[in-house]
Amino acid sequence: MTKETATALVEVKEIHKVFDLGSHFLQKHKPKVRAINDVSFSIYEGDSFCLVGESGCGKSTLARTVMGLLEPTAGEIHYRGQRIDHLKHKQRRPYHRSMSMIFQNPYASLNPRRTIQKTLEEPLRFHFPDLSTQEIKEKVEEVMVSVGNDPSWGKRYPHEFSGGQRQRLSIARALMVDPDFIVADEPISALDVSIQAQVLNVMMDAQEKRNLTYLFITHDLSVVEHFGSTVGVMYLGSLCELAQTKTLFAKPRHPYTQILLSAIPKLSCEEMQHSKLTGEVPSAMSLPSGCVFHNRCPYANHRCETEIPLLRSLEDGRAVSCHGVEEGRIDA
Amino acid sequence: MALLEVKDLHVEFPTRRGVLKALQGINFTVKRGERLGIVGESGAGKSLAAFAIINLLSKPGRIAGGEILFEGKDLTSLSHKDMRSIRGNRIAMIFQDPMMTLNPVLTIGTQMIETLKAHRKMSDEEAKLIAIDRLTEVRIPSAEARLKSYPHELSGGMRQRVVIAIALLAEPALIIADEPTTALDVTIQAEIMSLMLDLCKTRNVGLILITHDLAVVSQVTQKILVMYAGHVVEQGKTADVIPAPHHPYTSGLISALPQQNHQGKRLYQIPGSMPTLNALPPGCPFAPRCGFADDPCSEKLPDLLTVKHRRVRCFKAETLSAQGSLS
Repeated sequence: MTKETATALVEVKEIHKVFDLGSHFLQKHKPKVRAINDVSFSIYEGDSFCLVGESGCGKSTLARTVMGLLEPTAGEIHYRGQRIDHLKHKQRRPYHRSMSMIFQNPYASLNPRRTIQKTLEEPLRFHFPDLSTQEIKEKVEEVMVSVGNDPSWGKRYPHEFSGGQRQRLSIARALMVDPDFIVADEPISALDVSIQAQVLNVMMDAQEKRNLTYLFITHDLSVVEHFGSTVGVMYLGSLCELAQTKTLFAKPRHPYTQILLSAIPKLSCEEMQHSKLTGEVPSAMSLPSGCVFHNRCPYANHRCETEIPLLRSLEDGRAVSCHGVEEGRIDA
Repeated sequence: MALLEVKDLHVEFPTRRGVLKALQGINFTVKRGERLGIVGESGAGKSLAAFAIINLLSKPGRIAGGEILFEGKDLTSLSHKDMRSIRGNRIAMIFQDPMMTLNPVLTIGTQMIETLKAHRKMSDEEAKLIAIDRLTEVRIPSAEARLKSYPHELSGGMRQRVVIAIALLAEPALIIADEPTTALDVTIQAEIMSLMLDLCKTRNVGLILITHDLAVVSQVTQKILVMYAGHVVEQGKTADVIPAPHHPYTSGLISALPQQNHQGKRLYQIPGSMPTLNALPPGCPFAPRCGFADDPCSEKLPDLLTVKHRRVRCFKAETLSAQGSLS
């Protein structure tokens, strides 16, 4: 990457995540879902790192693993140079003070029986027990104003707000502890277009004012192009391309990224074209041999069927895991 | 003659605190083979218009006025029995969530054969052949084997294809699709939308596509209807409206989309939110959120006027477009 001199805020190193499925006691092998396979990347300070991919590709699992909500089966997660994935709950607490999460559904992520004030106060009271009531009140007000909410809403309950207002409240809750790093899992997918713009603006403002770093999970590529500084494209638990947003959108190299970008609907009044993708996403319970994309890839050959491609850096700073790109079979 | 002609359609919901006017005077036509897109934010009345056409308004909603002419018959005056012979037969519907449409405890085959036999007299064998034919038409691989599958065994994209296949069983003249791809991934969305586009062309079927995704509408439909708080605010040919919107709301919706070359900049956002039906402002419903509104806008509802090949409900459409403030 171009920012080699900068220190990485979050480093994900060779993460694997396997879920065991319950099985019949006579079955010899327990069925396993290989949700994440050997994924590594670094997020630098001030970055908006976007993870994109279709449903079921493991992007949310990865986000939860980074946050410590799931334990990786193998691999390490480092935060500011310290390994954090193996820590016990109590030891993790100082890290949770600087990492927050925003969830997809603002209807499910706010406690319906608590006032907004209570919801927003909780992370502060938990992580900073020394604060006085007055200080907490001031902090809540400050954060509410910064996300464009009326501070007098504190006495009200979540059901009194619209989707966009609720998502801004979730952002406010994430900002309460003054985090450095926020994981946002599809924060705008449940919202209307005009409201999406509002929420994205609030997130970009907060980043500017508070020097935040984002890990942004989404399947909406037009949002990635607008919001992200670095993009990781995932397919079936593997990272297929990692690049600066501009580099990636100017010239996608991995065949999957190329197909994904060509499928974005454009405001063009030109008739929609057929997608070049054939077949279906294979199940993560029985991953294809070799490159996970080979059975849908128009360029696949024998090597792709047998050998797992590694994420290799190219001269323009991006990294691609594709035999075809490495051999020069697939030109940009 | 138009296939479907909706004339001055009004839908209202009587409540204890008065009557809520959910649709106020909607007019549009769909010809055979023509594709119309209805767009707007949640709560604008897009789906309601569709449910009114097939006479499935949930109680206490009712059609308070206007006509819905389908193949020359006024659907508002039909009996339940007559309506049933049209619904699912001449007019098919596709909804957002395929799991809601499909019965989870019946196989795809049972559901398709059942649908066929409900509308026409035929043997199981005949019905099966037609079902396989339709599944092949929506590009489902190994169609015959799929007849034995249950909905949960299929992926989201496949389920939506099955729903489309069921919609095609009775050879409808009009398909109403309510957010058919909102729950799907971009790659699958592209496949489903291009499939529907092909089907409309080859079968000469009319399509009403209800969505909030302007990009999809711009690539699939020929005509567009932009709705806001129960009113049509702009309507015309998609190729006229999308590149040069004349209503501030349409223009706002388009500007709110993240577009190329503005990377990292703030997005345009329409201030405020849509008024609820029990607190509609007098005058233009969009006036409180509109950057160009002045006194007349908040006093009187503008008429739907013809400006540059389209109909616009805005007093200032002509001046604003002349100034170029909306592009």
